[in-house]
Order: sequence, then structure tokens, then C-alpha cells
Amino acid sequence: MEPQAHLETNDTIATLVLNRPDAHNAMSIGMLNAAHECMDKLDAMDTKPTVLVITGAGRSFCAGMDLKEVIIDEDPTIPRQLLETLARLTHRIRLFPAVTLARVNGAAIGGGCGLSTVCDISITHEDAKLGFPEVDLGLCPAVVAPWLVRKIGAGKARQVLLTGGLMSGARAAEFGIVTHAVESREQLDEAVSGAASALATGGPDALRATKSLLNTLDGSEDLDILLEAAALSASVLSTEDAQNRLKSRRK
Amino acid sequence: MIKLTTHNQADRMIALIAFDRAGKRNALTPEMLTELIDLAPKAAADHDAIVLTGEGKVFCSGFDLALCQTTPDGDIMRQLLTGLSNACQTLKAIDKPVVIAAHGAAIAGGCAILGGADVVVTDTHAKLGYPVTKIGVSPAVSAPFFGASVPKGVCREKLLLPMLFFGAHAHKIGLAHLLTDEPEQVLDLALETAANLASKPPHAYAATKRLVAKLEDPNQSETARKGLTASLQLTGKPEEQRMLGALTF
Repeated sequence: MEPQAHLETNDTIATLVLNRPDAHNAMSIGMLNAAHECMDKLDAMDTKPTVLVITGAGRSFCAGMDLKEVIIDEDPTIPRQLLETLARLTHRIRLFPAVTLARVNGAAIGGGCGLSTVCDISITHEDAKLGFPEVDLGLCPAVVAPWLVRKIGAGKARQVLLTGGLMSGARAAEFGIVTHAVESREQLDEAVSGAASALATGGPDALRATKSLLNTLDGSEDLDILLEAAALSASVLSTEDAQNRLKSRRK
Repeated sequence: MIKLTTHNQADRMIALIAFDRAGKRNALTPEMLTELIDLAPKAAADHDAIVLTGEGKVFCSGFDLALCQTTPDGDIMRQLLTGLSNACQTLKAIDKPVVIAAHGAAIAGGCAILGGADVVVTDTHAKLGYPVTKIGVSPAVSAPFFGASVPKGVCREKLLLPMLFFGAHAHKIGLAHLLTDEPEQVLDLALETAANLASKPPHAYAATKRLVAKLEDPNQSETARKGLTASLQLTGKPEEQRMLGALTF
């Protein structure tokens, strides 16, 4: 069985691939743990890559939480585990000492859009579907909220998170949720490759020092706020209303 | 290498401070930054507003890198980074209007200094940006000032991705506030803007400026210190020596 996330390395550029294409790379605990294992491997490297690209296998980037795991049938602790695992993964990606570049190849929804948001730079195409529809499902997008506020500011984040729904890649670029949206999916690889190559021309020490300072200035080092957010999100998720909405969605 | 003249614009006395090194595209030396830090508050005291510009075709092309190469131990680079941080803080601390006319190009340190202005005027095709990681230098010193001008996500992208962008894009992201089609129009618009701002009641302007600065960052000097420290820690180190040393002029 293929790992649910794997790592490809090429000199100064590494790529972490979310690998559940049949499920649109929806976040299961298994996939998140596999992504953590990829981060473990990166942490263990003596010479770190200069750029870490994060992308999804198949036509989607990441469709958000796997509904099968957040509907409480048997084990009520699983949603909290999943959200905490996601919170810790976003924190690790943010603090990883390489520039992170999200290649948003298709749908990036909820926590999936959060994975893109936490990256230093993100590129998608105009027709991709992105957004944070959690409130529509009776959920609270708490884990991704700190990252979105840091990226686009509190005013715009308030609008995006409270409005819910999805938007095009083009609109996401207008909001600043992604750095750039190319016109078509076919142009994505060239744009990502160009950005990764440009980043890799930078001095690794200079890039690391700059990223570290930016993380210090915007509060990215704070893990506690993410764990509190995961607890809040799990609490809202376990309400009867949220569970009913999720079950009807699954049907 | 800094020139001060007084310009009467609509009966307002504008201090026109110009980088005066057109032959070197106004590349910054430590002396230029020291002069600016010394001159700007004095000029503000004697005038209604300040406009900072550059002689010749561009506003400022950044640090004088050929000069930096003369001290591989990073001494000149250290002086420049420290001077840049101090210059931005000095400009921000001036109570009167500070407008920067950034025509043609504002690159690296020249782009960072825009963070000291109340209003930045540029032209549509001017080239701006912070492509300094390519020479092993961290633009962290600019982050406290640039980060106050644009959304944090944009700040992160522009400081990490070593690519230039046009004036029109600078306007879109909020780094520049007023845009003209032609570089030759930038200074005129900056002078008009400075005179207009100087026509406001000075105490109200000063109080509002101080309030906005405090809301941006209540610990501005500490944040500036952190940014400078992050950049200084790399000066004279092997990566910078190798990448900066490889440049040819």
C-alpha cells in the first residue's frame, strides 16, 4: 500500500506530496501522520532543502477533513486527535527552516486551504476551488484562523471565515489567500518551478534568517494558540447540530 | 552625497532632500545614510514637510555593493544595515509630512527606506523589490517597516522571493500610495502631496501620525532592533562573502 504522503527530494528543492488522490487528499489521521513522518525525514537531513513544495496527488490539493473521521460513530476522541495533528503539522511547516511553497493544483478546502495558507508562498490556477466553508457545516475553522489572519489581516479574514463557501483561485489571489493564480491548470507547473528556482537562488542562511524573523514578528512560533484552536474546533464539531449536518452531507 | 534645497509649493516650504549620486544610481553608502539621519530632523524643523528623492533616472538602487566588497569581513555591510534601520526609524519619527518620490527604481535598501514615509509616490513601470537573498543578505532589517505598510502575507512573499516587481504592483499591495505613468511626473506629484499634507493643522497631523505608528506596532524600536539583529548575524559570514564576492560590476 502506498504511503498517504511521501517526499521527493531534488538537490535544494524537496516536495511533500499528499497522496490520497481517490479521496481528493482529504485529511485522515493516517494522511496527517504520514505528512508528519515526511517532516521527520526533513528534520533529520543534515543539509536541509532551500525550498519545500507542498502539493497534492491527482487533481485536488486537499479537500479538507475526511468526513468519515469527524462523524462521531464509535470513538469520540478521533476528531480532536485529527485537529491536533493538523494543528501541529501546520506549526511544523511554518517553522521548517526552508521557504515553503504550496502548489495548489486543485481544490483546497477548509483545513486543506489552511495547509496552503500556512506556506510562505502559494500558487494556484484561476479555476481551482478554495475556501473555508466550515461555518456552512456548523463547524468552526479555528485551526486555520490564526494563519489566515497572519496572511491577509484580521478584516479580510473575518469576511472570508464568516462568509464561508468557496471561491475561485482568481478570487483567492485577490484576497491574498494565495500569492498568485495562473490562468490555467496547465500553466501551474511552470509557475511553481519558476518560483522554486528563483527562491533556490537565494542564500539558504539568508532565507532561513529572514523566515525566522518573520515568524517571530507575526507570532507564528506560538503553538499553544493552535492547540487551543484545535480544542475549540473539536468542541464545536461534537455538537449535535454539527454532527447532523455532517451526516446529511455524507449521505 | 545628500542635497537639501527648499521648494516653495503652494506657499508651503518643502524640504527637498535628494540622494545626489546619480552616476551610481544613488547607491547608498554609510555616509549617505548618516547624512540623511542627521539632516532629516533638522530639515523638518525648518520646513512644513519633507520630500525625499533621488537625482538622475532612479530613486535609489540599494546599497553600494562594490563598496561592500571592499570589506569582506562585512564592516561596510554592517554600517549600511544599521544606517538603513536608523534612517527608517528617523523618518518615521518625524511629526511633519514625509513623502518619498521613488521614480525609476527603488531596490533593496532603496525599497526598504520607503517604509519611513507617510506617502510613497512612484511610477507605473518603476522597479521595486528586495532581491537581496541572492547575495546572501537577509532583508529582515526591512521587515518591521515593510510589514507595517503591507499585509503580512505579502511582506513574507516579497522578502523571501528575490524578484523585482513594478510600481503598479507596489501600488496594488499598498507599498506605494500614489502612481503616475511617467517617472518625470513623480517628483511633481510628491511635492503637491507634501504641500497638501502640510496644509493640515500640524498638531492634528502629528498626533494622528503618532497614533497610527503606535497602532501599527507599539514596540516599534524593539521590532526594528530584532530585524536589524537578524540581518547583522549574517554579515561577513561565508555565505555572504561567497555570494556578494561573486558579483561583478
